Amino acid sequence: MKITVDHGLCDGLGQCALVAPEVFALDDEERLVVAPEAARGSAGKVAAAARACPVRAISVEGS
Amino acid sequence: MREVVVVGAGLAGVRAGESLRAQGFAGRLTVVSDERELPYDRPPLTKQLLSGTMTEADVRLAGAEDLGARWVRGTAAVGLDRERRRVRLADGAELPYDGVVLAPGAKARAWSGAVPRAGVLTVRGLDDVRRLRAEVDGGAREVVIVGAGFVGVELASSLSGLGVRVTLVEPFGRPLRALGGTVSGVVAEAAGRAGVVLRLGTGVRGFRDDGGRVVAVELVDGSVLPTPLVVVAIGMVPATDWLAESGLALPSGRIHCDERLFARSGGGSGAPDPRVVVAGDAACCDAVRAADGPVALEHWSNAAAQGELAARNLLAGPAAAEPYDHVPSFWTTAFGLRIKSVGLPGTGDRTVAEAGDPAGGAVLEAHYRDGRLVGAVSVEQGRLLSAYARRLRGERMIASGTEPSGT
Ligand SMILES: Cc1cc2nc3c(=O)[nH]c(=O)nc-3n(C[C@H](O)[C@H](O)[C@H](O)COP(=O)(O)OP(=O)(O)OC[C@H]3O[C@@H](n4cnc5c(N)ncnc54)[C@H](O)[C@@H]3O)c2cc1C
Ligand code: SF4
Repeated sequence: MKITVDHGLCDGLGQCALVAPEVFALDDEERLVVAPEAARGSAGKVAAAARACPVRAISVEGS
Repeated sequence: MREVVVVGAGLAGVRAGESLRAQGFAGRLTVVSDERELPYDRPPLTKQLLSGTMTEADVRLAGAEDLGARWVRGTAAVGLDRERRRVRLADGAELPYDGVVLAPGAKARAWSGAVPRAGVLTVRGLDDVRRLRAEVDGGAREVVIVGAGFVGVELASSLSGLGVRVTLVEPFGRPLRALGGTVSGVVAEAAGRAGVVLRLGTGVRGFRDDGGRVVAVELVDGSVLPTPLVVVAIGMVPATDWLAESGLALPSGRIHCDERLFARSGGGSGAPDPRVVVAGDAACCDAVRAADGPVALEHWSNAAAQGELAARNLLAGPAAAEPYDHVPSFWTTAFGLRIKSVGLPGTGDRTVAEAGDPAGGAVLEAHYRDGRLVGAVSVEQGRLLSAYARRLRGERMIASGTEPSGT
């Protein structure tokens, strides 16, 4: 699975982190950090996190 | 199920349509909207669009054009006949359905008294923001905003950023008061620093006009605020008038639905209708509850998640439908502050600042009721929120007697 975040779009809203906290988290500056290795086996949750992003900054390829 | 009608093409309606197709629904899908616009997203309207950092093309809801739907635009649904399974439209047409998704959202609440013909606006949709922007571009250098909920606060932030002198009037004494005291204070301070004049704790008595155009706002305390432009931002009313004869339960105008988003019948029976599901700002769902009953949510993430589940449950039928188990979440940005919440912060009886430094414009405030966590609000402490969301999910599982699944 390849997860891409468009950091130009991402506002650090953190909605993705609420849905899949093991993959998406915010750092101290409320910037998004992604742990793609944690996404293995949770394609459904990652897809749900992508849908939860209000600015559609997350795209997912493969599974 | 061969015919599905979706009423409302906001976020909830569009997500419902996407979800129907994602589940493999190949029948006829009709989406009815009383707006002529292509579907768009509301959160950027009062922020990026008004500020000018996004264009109208940027705020369109992606995905709407790929639904393979028949669109009815610029025509309102005016009735729901559940016996004959038909949605009646304003032009007299009737749409038969096997299933219907009700996602009509809400309209801006209008001022209850007399209002001058020109210069007093409300903001809910794209057209409203165009009108507001035209006033500013046409030379309005001053505005009085009535109501300091999130829409009023966002407008105050964006308009002051455009160089407009803003006075923000809030009768209940605090901006964003639903989010709790500390957060309110941080926001009030940031607004003050941005040059916004706050008139807190006094309401509006009425408006003065000259030849039909507003020239001043009169406050209850007797003061008069001269202004060429007023925005009334006092909340919203669900767009459900048209359902009055449907036999559905409409407490406070919201469409009452069970935990699986099936609309409940009124008249005491409360029986859910297996062919009618509800999503978004117009809904009041049994699965979202505080100690004293269901709570209606008016948030983006709720509309998205309900739209998606409502469509899935409609196709699955009541026996196989899943309960709505979303932890509420909300965000707004104003005066450079990122404000976010999880859970139902407004429903607590005690708040505790658990991180941050309010004086420095950062705070994480947790809301408790009877000692149990019911919500949390962050200003510039967003990285902490997912832990609170996890705790809220745990609390709920304990309350409903199911074991946490470990996720
Ligand atoms: C200015 C603004 C800023 C916001 N900012 C944020 C934010 O920062 N964060 C956040 O979490 N939430 C925010 N929200 C809230 C969020 O946008 C809403 O929760 C969401 O739009 C609700 O979606 P909905 O589809 O239920 O309703 P709506 O978006 O209201 O869509 C309903 C649609 O149905 C149409 N309709 C109504 N009645 C009928 C009828 N009888 N027949 C046909 N069509 C009908 C309406 O015209 C509308 O197009 C904001 C809202 C506004 C207005
Ligand atoms: S939800 Fe979207 S905007 Fe928010 S942090 Fe995640 S990717 Fe960024």
